[in-house]
Amino acid sequence: MARERNRWLSAYALIVYAFLFAPIVVLIIFSFNKARRGLVWQGFTLDWYPKLFSNGELLDALTVTLEVALVAVIVSTVIGSLLGLGLARLRFRGRGATETLLLVPMLTPEIVMGLSLLLFFLQLFDAHGSLAQLWIAHITFCVSYVAVVVRARAANMDPRLEEAARDLGASAWGAFVHVTLPLILPAVIAGGLLAFSLSFDDYVVTTFNSGVGSSTLPLYIYGKIKFGVTPEINAISTIIVAVTAIAILIAWRAGAFDSGPRRPVADEAAT
Amino acid sequence: MTDRHDGSSIDLEKELVRYMVEHRISRRYLLERIALVGGAAALAPIIAACTSSGGSASAAPSSAAPSVAASVAPPSASPSPTAQPSPEGALNILNWTDYLADDVIKSFEDQFSVKVTQSFFSTTDEMYQKIGEDGGDYDISFPISVDVPNMVERGVIAKLDKSMLPNIVNLGQEWANPGYDPGNTYTVPYMWWTTGVGYDPKRIKEEPTSSKALWDARWKQHISMLDDWQEVFGLTLIQQGHSANSTNTAEMDQALALLEQQKPLVRTYSTDTIGTMTSGDVWIGHIWGADRFAIQETIPDFAYYIPEEGGVKGSDTVATFTGSPHPVAAQLFINHLLDAHNSAANTNLIYYMGPNAAAKEFIDPAILSDPTINPDQEIVDKLEELLRLDQSVRDEYLSRWQQLRG
Amino acid sequence: MGAAVQPAEASAASTPVADAPGRIARLRAAALVLPGVGWLVLFFIVPLLLIFVVSLGSRDALDRITLANPSLDNYAKAFDPVFIPTFLNSIRFATITTILSLAIGYPIAYWISRYGGRHKVLLIILVMLPFWTSYLIRTYSWIILLRDNGVVNSLLQAFGLTSEPIILMNTDLSVILGMTYGFLPFAILPLFVSIDRLDPNLIAAGRDLYASGRDAFLHVTLPLTMPGIVAAALLTFIPALGDFVTPDLLGGPGTTTIAKNIQELFLAGRDWPYGAALGFVLMIVTLTGTLVALRTLRREVAGGD
Repeated sequence: MARERNRWLSAYALIVYAFLFAPIVVLIIFSFNKARRGLVWQGFTLDWYPKLFSNGELLDALTVTLEVALVAVIVSTVIGSLLGLGLARLRFRGRGATETLLLVPMLTPEIVMGLSLLLFFLQLFDAHGSLAQLWIAHITFCVSYVAVVVRARAANMDPRLEEAARDLGASAWGAFVHVTLPLILPAVIAGGLLAFSLSFDDYVVTTFNSGVGSSTLPLYIYGKIKFGVTPEINAISTIIVAVTAIAILIAWRAGAFDSGPRRPVADEAAT
Repeated sequence: MTDRHDGSSIDLEKELVRYMVEHRISRRYLLERIALVGGAAALAPIIAACTSSGGSASAAPSSAAPSVAASVAPPSASPSPTAQPSPEGALNILNWTDYLADDVIKSFEDQFSVKVTQSFFSTTDEMYQKIGEDGGDYDISFPISVDVPNMVERGVIAKLDKSMLPNIVNLGQEWANPGYDPGNTYTVPYMWWTTGVGYDPKRIKEEPTSSKALWDARWKQHISMLDDWQEVFGLTLIQQGHSANSTNTAEMDQALALLEQQKPLVRTYSTDTIGTMTSGDVWIGHIWGADRFAIQETIPDFAYYIPEEGGVKGSDTVATFTGSPHPVAAQLFINHLLDAHNSAANTNLIYYMGPNAAAKEFIDPAILSDPTINPDQEIVDKLEELLRLDQSVRDEYLSRWQQLRG
Repeated sequence: MGAAVQPAEASAASTPVADAPGRIARLRAAALVLPGVGWLVLFFIVPLLLIFVVSLGSRDALDRITLANPSLDNYAKAFDPVFIPTFLNSIRFATITTILSLAIGYPIAYWISRYGGRHKVLLIILVMLPFWTSYLIRTYSWIILLRDNGVVNSLLQAFGLTSEPIILMNTDLSVILGMTYGFLPFAILPLFVSIDRLDPNLIAAGRDLYASGRDAFLHVTLPLTMPGIVAAALLTFIPALGDFVTPDLLGGPGTTTIAKNIQELFLAGRDWPYGAALGFVLMIVTLTGTLVALRTLRREVAGGD
């Protein structure tokens, strides 16, 4: 009976993954499209790949994007996880306000957030956009997402576990690292993955906070719409997917994804 | 073409072939020109372009001026005047991606040892926000001409130093004193365009000439309009016999009514004209003229026309700003863009026509001869320009636009 | 045994802590929460206040923002009935997207958690991988798939299901498809994180307790994963409400959203004050709705325990 459910569910999973990757397959195929502009297939060519490597601006944009995303992910994951954990586990006054504060960035229209930051940096620091400004902007919109995910995970976590660890002699920090952190780690990682996606693809907030030398890939790509988006963009997206897939494969082979020690069964004791 | 020569000896044959390939000039065209204006006149501009990386005094505003070209002046060693401040080491440009030909930027960098950094935007309104009140950190950008007076009044755009812009003589006569910037004091025109109707002849098996074709129920769900309230209302008002810049709310209401009739037939309101027209879902659409060439790369016989009721034209400018960090480099770059060769290179890349009369020598003949991209002066004079309307008028339009799109 | 230490904390019910050792807990809470709160206050609230001030202002003759006559006029204007259709569009798309994302995401999150085994993390990363490409190109790819002479229509005709192309692009369908696609990972990840921590013993116990697998799921699994479902709903609905790009690129004349209206006011309309006011109105409406929904949900969940 369990096995049968497994089959249906597995088929379902396959369909969902196919759905997720369908546009990606199209994207990859069209990176070999001969047509310079336009969405019609006009023959096979490999030209776009060497072309993109000589496209300084495109490569610079990619570099900036990764620089921004890396910092944004690390900082927002740390801050967001702490925030989510605090909200979930511990009761304190002002909790409702903090929870509201968490939600507001997510429901702010991007144009409002982008322009508010532009105004903030312009009026208070006479700044016109820069890499640092992008870091700050990206961290700001990522924090909430991480916090919400971590909070969900930590929601039912029994706080007595950490107390128990401390009673057994661990320091507060040690209890945190060895008990709490492993329990919320999947949520932290999930939050980090979401933050990366948000940062990597962001346009509106980024355009109003980027400056000279800090144009990201989305800015470069959207700037192409006016005069035609070329398959170079497909090519670079393909390369990113390929590189990431290879990196994941290598990590997988190296056992990086094997699940750790089984989590404590007492986890669920509290309702 | 970025190599400097002293003009003493060049391999003309090699340079010529390279030039022709670069600019897609056919041998036949060249021979025709030689027959028409004489060998020296036809080849002189090419030689001049090959031997100096800047514009030369021999580039005359009119396209057929054998007397000037016959005496091939020794190529000017440098396009910039003798006594001038030296440029800063960097230049920051804000524009669309692929708006400037790579060659043009590279030749500028090489000639003046300036590092050019480009930053991007996807709509002009975004550009204005990034430029702000003093240009942000940008030295060069491309405001739309009708927005220039407002920016000048707010103190955003810096005055030009004409002594650093000898190439300005390359501009066509009609651009010497534009209404939005008398005497080109603050800006220099960059590109101009028309807005009209484009269609795929394989789908639309007739040759429409009116903008009413966009209301044709036969093409239901295969029509697109620009996602730009001013262009859309402009087209409609002209069709109804009014000015595209009407301030009359009754006329605006009439236009709205007509647009609401059209709405069920419209597939999309989009400014991604190239993507929309090449996807195949849209057969006839409201597009900018120059997009036609880009679309033709995919749909070879794609057609474009300026509606018989009248059409819209527009232009943009190159400007530098009051807060620009590298004013000297900016001025030199503007001059660089005014060079005939460079202006042509840009036109050949993005297909938009420049105001540069001297550049006409080097523009792809297909573009040049196309009456819809490069119409005769009399037609151009009849086209209306979309002006920057007063706030209250703009608000009237915008609220009707919101009604339409809701 | 930590009997002396905060017994009241053990309960997941909502009685707040008030005893002396709670001070340490409160300090610890502050330490955890302070960086996040501090950051958001400085880099989110303060800028937002600036924009709020702008919303009270107006424009001068040169289209510059002026605070000469601060007023709430823009807010009055924001309640213009012209925005009702677009607001309803936004609500409609966000709701359907959320429901679909949850419905599609839950089973796959469940599958990864229960049957993913050693490869769980890998499978989760695979869910995210498509989204490390350019959004615009992914959208173009959907256009290639959905257009009149696109892949989907070709397949439909090849299998004889249709005789001529059906219009898929620039419709509500393409918008919802595109939005669901874009938000699916935002649903799957929190769902997975919540489902994954379920103790299989509890599931087994549930199956023993209840006659059918379905009941076991409804009465054991589902309530236990409620925090994940709530998180997934929040991470989908709230941003979806403000999504204007997807409906803009994949949609048609009937899919304009309120977010697009706001964008237009700021940029094409050059009216920051009005755009800001409309933005704030949208935010307040959304926030109120969300908080009410959360409170109701919490009451029900707490009551059901």
